[in-house]
Amino acid sequence: MTSSPILDRVSAIAADVLQVPASSLSLQSSPETVESWDSVRHLDLVLALEQEFHLQFEPEEIDQMKNAERIVDILSAKTPTR
Amino acid sequence: MAISIAPYTADWILAVKAFNQRLAAGGVGAEFRFPESNIPHWLPEIDDRTIYQRYYLAVDGEQVRGAFILKHQEFRLRQGSAKIVYYHLPLSEGIVNKSYSSVGVLMLRSALKVEPSLYCLGMGGFDRPLPTMLKALRWSMCAVPFYFRVVRPSRFLREVQPVRRTPLRRLLADAGAFSGLGWLAIHALQTVRSRRPFADATTEPIVNFGDWADALWVRGAPQYPLIASRESRVLNVLYPSGKNFLCYKVSRGNDLIGWFVALDTQMKDNKYFGNLRIGAIADCLATPENARSVIEAARTVLTERGVDLVVANHSHQEWGSAFTSAGFFEGPSNFIFAASRDLSDRLGPFPEVQHQIYLMRGDGDGPVNL
Repeated sequence: MTSSPILDRVSAIAADVLQVPASSLSLQSSPETVESWDSVRHLDLVLALEQEFHLQFEPEEIDQMKNAERIVDILSAKTPTR
Repeated sequence: MAISIAPYTADWILAVKAFNQRLAAGGVGAEFRFPESNIPHWLPEIDDRTIYQRYYLAVDGEQVRGAFILKHQEFRLRQGSAKIVYYHLPLSEGIVNKSYSSVGVLMLRSALKVEPSLYCLGMGGFDRPLPTMLKALRWSMCAVPFYFRVVRPSRFLREVQPVRRTPLRRLLADAGAFSGLGWLAIHALQTVRSRRPFADATTEPIVNFGDWADALWVRGAPQYPLIASRESRVLNVLYPSGKNFLCYKVSRGNDLIGWFVALDTQMKDNKYFGNLRIGAIADCLATPENARSVIEAARTVLTERGVDLVVANHSHQEWGSAFTSAGFFEGPSNFIFAASRDLSDRLGPFPEVQHQIYLMRGDGDGPVNL
């Protein structure tokens, strides 16, 4: 993945939750491309991101989290820029 | 296309059928199909009933990608009245198509947004996907203990599948059944566990629940920190006359002390009970001090009808002691109660309260699974 503060944090969390090397993830990573990314891991990922970023996703945002890129977009929109 | 949650209306029936077909094609068991009618067969929302079900769908354009049911019911919670909602039969296309991995979370989060005090019951064990998800969401969870008393030991040994799981266990069970040693052992154990003969109560079959049931509710409900309404107007909806419910009043002398609802069901190749005839104490109510009398009364009625095994689930600790005193064994339970964080906060410290709440099979998802 191309580095950005949010992207780096998402990448680290996703790697930990999905139990894959961070280097194997890209912005296009999704449940279709990552074997371990099933319904339960998706929930784990949502919860881990909420904890890391101190926020709660709306149900419609959870639906939009189809791949890593969308997750970063949603987090970027929800996270105040400094 | 974005997925949204919508009430299940008649327009969606064909899409639900297609959803069920996709689950079936993906190898999902036949018990996991969403109703192909938008009006619940059990507990429809009619008139001024306070207990009813609503069906919801996760829709994606013209397709259904998930579905769940909310059962609305009045509870008594910590001396007050509360509407608490049972989230059940959540089905997600994510189990057969990873493109929809988010649907399960989306449905649960959507339900929680509208009804924060949710609970789940049953679920088949802690290791199943829904309890795993609820655990991640930090819901409070416990198993509702399962109790059984063997009436016909030889049939029990020949039919109960967990006893017969390995060839050696099957051999031992058959030897016990045919030699009579099994009968002796089970009978002796149950007799030793029954503290003393306890036949102080009389029973009377009933057709409907009346004012007497309301009087029992007023007396019994305050004893429990969480209990679903067991007022007559609710009980007559849950256990209507003309169905296969065996409903009885229980009295001691001239005092009415409780009631129970039982079922007498002939199993056929059941994965747990084989071909046993099962007597299930599906529901009952009394104060804790009268628990054993009600249990004994139910067991007697079912035994006299000729069942092979009497079973019940009960969450309350004193009721559990009463089952044990009545010679019941406690078996492994896959009947799980899970309370959302909001409900858990309202209940108080869960490790303490989990043994005081009042849940039975009758609080679950309907007559099919009693």
